[in-house]
Amino acid sequence: MKKVIVGNHAVSLGVKLARVEVVSAYPITPQTQVVEMLSEMCASGELAARFIKVESEHSAMAACCGASAAGTRTFTASSSQGLALMHEMLHWAGNGRHPVVMANINRAMGPGWNVWTDQNDSLSQRDTGWIQLYCETNQEVLDTTIQAFKLAEAVDLPVMVILDAFYLSHTSEPVEIPDQDLVDEFLPRREARLKLDTSDPRSFGSLVRPEDYMEMRWDQQQAMTTALRMYEEIDADWKILTGRRWGAIEPYRMDDAELVLVTSGTVTSTAREVIDQRREDGEMIGLLKVKMFRPFPSAAIRRALRGVDRVAVLDRNVSPGHSGIFAEEIRAALYDVPPDDRPWLHGYVLGLGGRDVTPATIEEIIERAWAVDTPPREDLWVGLKT
Amino acid sequence: MPRAPYVEPLVSVSRGSTRQNRTGSWKYIRPLYRDAVAPCNRACPAGVDIEGYMNLLREGRLDDALDLLLRENPMPAITGRVCHHPCEVGCNRREYDQAVTVHSVERALGDESLSRPHPAPPPRLHSERVAIVGAGPAGLACAYHLARLGYGVTVYDEAAEAGGLLRQGIPGYRLPREVLDRQIERIASMGVDIRTGVRLAGEKAQAELEGYDAVFYATGAHKGKPMRVEGEDGPGIVAGLEFLKAVNRGERPEIGRRVAIIGGGNTAMDCARTALRFGAEPVVVYRRTRDEMPAIPQEVDEALREGVEFVFLAAPSGFRWEDGRLVEMHVTRMELGEPDDSGRRRPVPIDDDGYTIPVDTVLTAIGEDTELEALPWSLPEKWGSIIVDDFGLAGAERVFAGGDVAGEERTVADALGSGKRAAMGIDRLFRGGDDGGRPAEVTDLRWGGDGQVSMSRWRGDDPVRRTNPTNQVVDIEGLQLAHFRREPSHQERHRHDAVDFSEVNLGIDMEQAIAEARRCFNCGVCNDCELCLILCPDVAIVRREGGGFEVDLDHCKGCGVCAEECPRGAIIMTREGL
Amino acid sequence: MSQVMIKELVPRRELVDPGHLACPGCGAPLAMRLVLKELGEKTIVVLPACCWSIIAGPYPQSSLHVPLYHTAFETAAAVASGIRAALDVRGDTDTTVMAWAGDGGTFDIGLQALSGAAERNEDFLYVCYDNEAYMNTGIQRSSATPWGAWTTTTPRSQPQGTKKKDILSIMAAHRIPYAATACVSYPADLLEKVRKAKSIRGTRFLHILSPCPPGWKFSDEQSIEMGRKAVQNRIFPLMEVEDGIRWRFTMETDGDRVEPYIKAQGRFRHLTDEDMVRIQDEVNARWEYLERMVASSP
Repeated sequence: MKKVIVGNHAVSLGVKLARVEVVSAYPITPQTQVVEMLSEMCASGELAARFIKVESEHSAMAACCGASAAGTRTFTASSSQGLALMHEMLHWAGNGRHPVVMANINRAMGPGWNVWTDQNDSLSQRDTGWIQLYCETNQEVLDTTIQAFKLAEAVDLPVMVILDAFYLSHTSEPVEIPDQDLVDEFLPRREARLKLDTSDPRSFGSLVRPEDYMEMRWDQQQAMTTALRMYEEIDADWKILTGRRWGAIEPYRMDDAELVLVTSGTVTSTAREVIDQRREDGEMIGLLKVKMFRPFPSAAIRRALRGVDRVAVLDRNVSPGHSGIFAEEIRAALYDVPPDDRPWLHGYVLGLGGRDVTPATIEEIIERAWAVDTPPREDLWVGLKT
Repeated sequence: MPRAPYVEPLVSVSRGSTRQNRTGSWKYIRPLYRDAVAPCNRACPAGVDIEGYMNLLREGRLDDALDLLLRENPMPAITGRVCHHPCEVGCNRREYDQAVTVHSVERALGDESLSRPHPAPPPRLHSERVAIVGAGPAGLACAYHLARLGYGVTVYDEAAEAGGLLRQGIPGYRLPREVLDRQIERIASMGVDIRTGVRLAGEKAQAELEGYDAVFYATGAHKGKPMRVEGEDGPGIVAGLEFLKAVNRGERPEIGRRVAIIGGGNTAMDCARTALRFGAEPVVVYRRTRDEMPAIPQEVDEALREGVEFVFLAAPSGFRWEDGRLVEMHVTRMELGEPDDSGRRRPVPIDDDGYTIPVDTVLTAIGEDTELEALPWSLPEKWGSIIVDDFGLAGAERVFAGGDVAGEERTVADALGSGKRAAMGIDRLFRGGDDGGRPAEVTDLRWGGDGQVSMSRWRGDDPVRRTNPTNQVVDIEGLQLAHFRREPSHQERHRHDAVDFSEVNLGIDMEQAIAEARRCFNCGVCNDCELCLILCPDVAIVRREGGGFEVDLDHCKGCGVCAEECPRGAIIMTREGL
Repeated sequence: MSQVMIKELVPRRELVDPGHLACPGCGAPLAMRLVLKELGEKTIVVLPACCWSIIAGPYPQSSLHVPLYHTAFETAAAVASGIRAALDVRGDTDTTVMAWAGDGGTFDIGLQALSGAAERNEDFLYVCYDNEAYMNTGIQRSSATPWGAWTTTTPRSQPQGTKKKDILSIMAAHRIPYAATACVSYPADLLEKVRKAKSIRGTRFLHILSPCPPGWKFSDEQSIEMGRKAVQNRIFPLMEVEDGIRWRFTMETDGDRVEPYIKAQGRFRHLTDEDMVRIQDEVNARWEYLERMVASSP
């Protein structure tokens, strides 16, 4: 069944179809519609979940950890400051290996207050042990939400499904809603491998000494590695059921491309249009969409970009004092490519705090990328007022 | 490298207990359970394990409580009525709210034992035969214990019936005859041969006693002490004990309306209350004050209640007769001076004219002397008493003595204690070589080292489980009173409908006795209250099979909470490694 | 029966193992032992950072025979909410969820989450075992530290200068069905309250005074005595509040002077006679306040 819905409701519908058992959340713009719809669903019985209306995001994630540790499928949603407040408990979920799923609506960090999109909130949580999946469309949001539970529970890692504020969260798009039966087949009820169980009483999270700690982090790292492969399998299964797959990365019109733009989130859609146009005009130009940021699909990115002349990474985020964060990561990934095959990498910081990224912005980047004849020393900021 | 199949994430999840941590290595002191002695046990002249039977009774183990009581005390139905119960003075609970009314519990148990059929006589284990002269409490106690130890025993008494002063001196309203009879019957049922109406003196005695392997003398003290006042042998002046003996023989001695009783002890009270029962108007004349009276306080209370008058701080100094009839007693006023050897303040005469009290009869009750002239053997004596050693052995070989005649305190309980001690002495005489590890030192047999001897200790089969027993007495400082609640003692009922010779004190029933036993602190002795176990922060105290506790030394950190909190001082902390 | 045979009141089951890592004489493991005896095996414990984080034993050990979830300092009530929701949604309404936090995790950093959960009337038992400072980190003051006390962050030259937070009133003000105080020195009272709390649905709060020998500076064996004194001198009255409005004392107290209690602890060594008067006055005033609350209870 196809419906025209906003991205936030795509999340809520995905959560419902996943038959989430415990929701714990705190409202923040632009996430509110997610929890409002879930509240309605829980109240009406449409979703047989307990919704804990906590007093803070910190408690939201804490409650999720508890509910997940007790063996249930658990969900929350947040954004920006709220996500930042959760930080400590994101680690707890990550290191505790709780397969919590969260939707994060990308929103810029204050001050000053800014409710519009950029990726600094989620990217700041890079090292908390969460899988991060960035979405481009509302269909992808819905599908990814369902996939996220499957992935999280397969490897016992939490998953963050990420969508741009307003461009997705509040923008209506037609979305194919899968049947419940189909989702049930794809995603059976969670059977936790380890859980709080009075018939097998165990202590979770007690003091770990140096002689034991590293192995746990190593196991987590292995799980992340597994998640890369596991996502491809899950995605393939999803395709069998729905005809759609998304991929950890998506190369777009990259055949013989000499310049490849690397994007994530809704900037991708804008870039697709520009690239389509330029390909029509015969320009050897392509696009690489990165959906999965953690675990980082380095090998796939290397394979995709190897031999390309120039790569322009579009970052709706910045690591102050360094560069755009995707650019950093991709630059590091490409270091393993032999110098002869290694592309020049151009980093572009753009669209922070919800500043518009229009086709013209993309055009400007492409022009600048073609224009330089030596590898650039630092990222270029696009669209700055002079 | 192929990965192992994914089973579960490697996270901090427990797979075992902290029990593997030997946290016991932290400690430098460790608890030790050690059962000590309750002050009541030490105070009991009969050496009764009071704390022990209270402990058993508290648990509702009536038969065991009776057994324990009866192994130390042959006549609890009697002592429960007439003993001056120093145990209650020693009772730590006295300083907390009210002493446990030990005597009333003892009486309830004693009556219970008499309500049951007499048990089968104990087996005669040994060939030796022992003669006992005097069937008062000391003689009967010695006989009872010897019979239970397996000896043949014969008791001689010159009186028509056994019981000694219990029968002759104590009025029926205090000690009903049927209780006395049944109690003596119970002793006789142990296989003790009691021969009354036999006066053993001089050569006749020697001939009669030759055939025995040992002799125990407990002939008592019957001769009223003189007042050393001019005219005291005159008409109308009678020894109080003689008066009581006559009454107890069923006679009705001649007394006047106005009867003065001289003295402040139990005999004085018995005389006064008996006189009252014959319609007289008794007045007790005592040279000190009520506080110094040696009589049992409850007896004084009852006498007062019944209408006996008291004149304190007065001592007789002369009498006047008219027409051969006593009419007046002159008394000297006294005041209290410095304390004497007994700790009581000494009465000192006031130098004035004194005053007179109109009297018809004077009963003297200032104590009794022994009569050693009738002894068949010459035994070492001092101040009218036979000198004996710790086990009652009098100078001559195989001759023992106890009770009043051997200088014991003049109480029933002391007599019972000395009889028991002599029984042990006689047992030791015969079985000294194969005593099976019986304590050699009498102090080890005595509760607290200086109390009365314990038959349990002599036999070495204490039925109350005792862990690391010590002879140390636990005083109130050694208790943790926070774990007790104040609760008044269970008081006996008294019959006040008529002043006659039927029993006045009706005692308490068994239910009350059990409740009273629950008031007992069980000083010094673990009663499995489990507080140590409950309050141990380290879960390092475990129940032992068959009762009691053990310290899990692998995990006890030596904090000392158990010792500090033990309500009865049955745990001490000792240095680690000692 | 004047001698309370307490063993008849204490369930025999033992859900705490020896070998735990509490200091000698610590009140905290005792509190846990007693509470779990009453709650039984069907209990899940949530443990934020506190002394018990250590007492429970390092990986891979546990000193408890019930499931235990260690969590971040400020999250006990929130995690407990999550676990409760999970159990409920899976149909397990028998199991008791118990948050077990120290005074720091309750009075200070965890108060927000606790307030939130209490307002939502989450169905769990929250126990605060109060040793009146951050003991696990080495005796730093908390808002449960009594006035005048020395801690490593309130030196003797400038000891704790504010009054202990009235957490019972705070919790009562949330109108939760049950809030009570208890002390390890009075096991029967404590167990009775746990029994009662267990039988109630909704948020239940139990504030247990847990004497700390190294933190309060008294010798190990005095732990129980110290709690007893605190109750008897009305520094820590034993009481309960139902639905936030029905206040009741659960133990008669003698109203002993505070001085012997204060003088028995090294943390108060520097206090003067005037300080003693001040503490006494404060205790009296609070007692009168509580008496009024009790008297005006419906």
